[in-house]
Amino acid sequence: MNSIEEILWNYIDGLCTPEEQKIIDTLIAEDEAYRLKYHELLKLNQEFSAIELDEPSMAFTYNVMETIRTENARVPLKAAINKKIIIGIALFFALTLMALLLFVFTSVKWAGIAPHVNLAYTFKMPAIDAGTAKIALEGFVFFDVILALYLLDAYFRKKTAARHA
Amino acid sequence: MQSKLSDTELIEQTLAGNQAAYADLVKRHQRFVFTLAMRFAKVREDAEEIAQDCFIKAYRSLGSFQGQSKFSTWLYSIVYTTAMTFLRKKRVDTDSIDDENTIIQLENRSSGYDVNNVENKSRSFYLNQAIDQLLPDDAAIITMFYKGEQSLEEIAQAMGMEANTVKVKLFRARQRLKDKLERNLKHEAKELI
Repeated sequence: MNSIEEILWNYIDGLCTPEEQKIIDTLIAEDEAYRLKYHELLKLNQEFSAIELDEPSMAFTYNVMETIRTENARVPLKAAINKKIIIGIALFFALTLMALLLFVFTSVKWAGIAPHVNLAYTFKMPAIDAGTAKIALEGFVFFDVILALYLLDAYFRKKTAARHA
Repeated sequence: MQSKLSDTELIEQTLAGNQAAYADLVKRHQRFVFTLAMRFAKVREDAEEIAQDCFIKAYRSLGSFQGQSKFSTWLYSIVYTTAMTFLRKKRVDTDSIDDENTIIQLENRSSGYDVNNVENKSRSFYLNQAIDQLLPDDAAIITMFYKGEQSLEEIAQAMGMEANTVKVKLFRARQRLKDKLERNLKHEAKELI
């Protein structure tokens, strides 16, 4: 059951239903206790509404904007390192190296330089049954999946941390 | 002079790269944000640090503000979170100040800027003094409700609580504030006699 104060605060805050409002109107008009309490709370409500706000220092806005400006000045420096340019340079070097290697391999006369190797021993690969190979393959794939999930998790964590920073 | 543009218009301009628009937003909300920070920090320097931090955080995440709530509600939620983190970091004693020792401390604190002529003190002085003596949550709810133009639902959103919880907390906070105000006034009246 609500106290008189609770009922009256709801009434003052306008949180009552129209029916409740009518009942409280009647109570205030007819009941001395309700009327006195209502006027007391109304006065308090007016006082609370007149609470004064504190004033920050004169340089408050300037300080905020200065910090933002400093942060912004730092960001373009990072942004200036365009990833596309870096990728472009990497691609250029990779292609050059590949072309160079291709040129070298095609221009070498392999028959002339390849020594004649006479293997004295013949190696025999150990026989691997199909079951073992399957387990090894599944293990390898499982390890890859775990590694991929771990790296993905690390990537998302890094991204979330950067967003919160 | 403050801009006549709405918060939403100022946000749009800020997002378009106009930093002066954000300065207008800061000017518009700084007094309230600072007051709210004061409710938690109780010290001007700390409150100013919290308030500045809030505006910087708000600027950084302005792009994620979707306009589903009022900008002020969104901003106050940042203030509340930042202030709570600050309190946790500083390990400020947020125990109830009902015990005698704390009251003596607060009275001594207030006497620092107290003019000797008690009669000259306005009732708003005692009201602010009483708010200072409230728990941070109570003081913040009272401030947001009366000065922040926030509904119970909006306060609940800013504080991450249920609207009903805020309603109960507001009721209790008002009762505590009333008690503290009466006690402070009685104390001053006794001093006069």
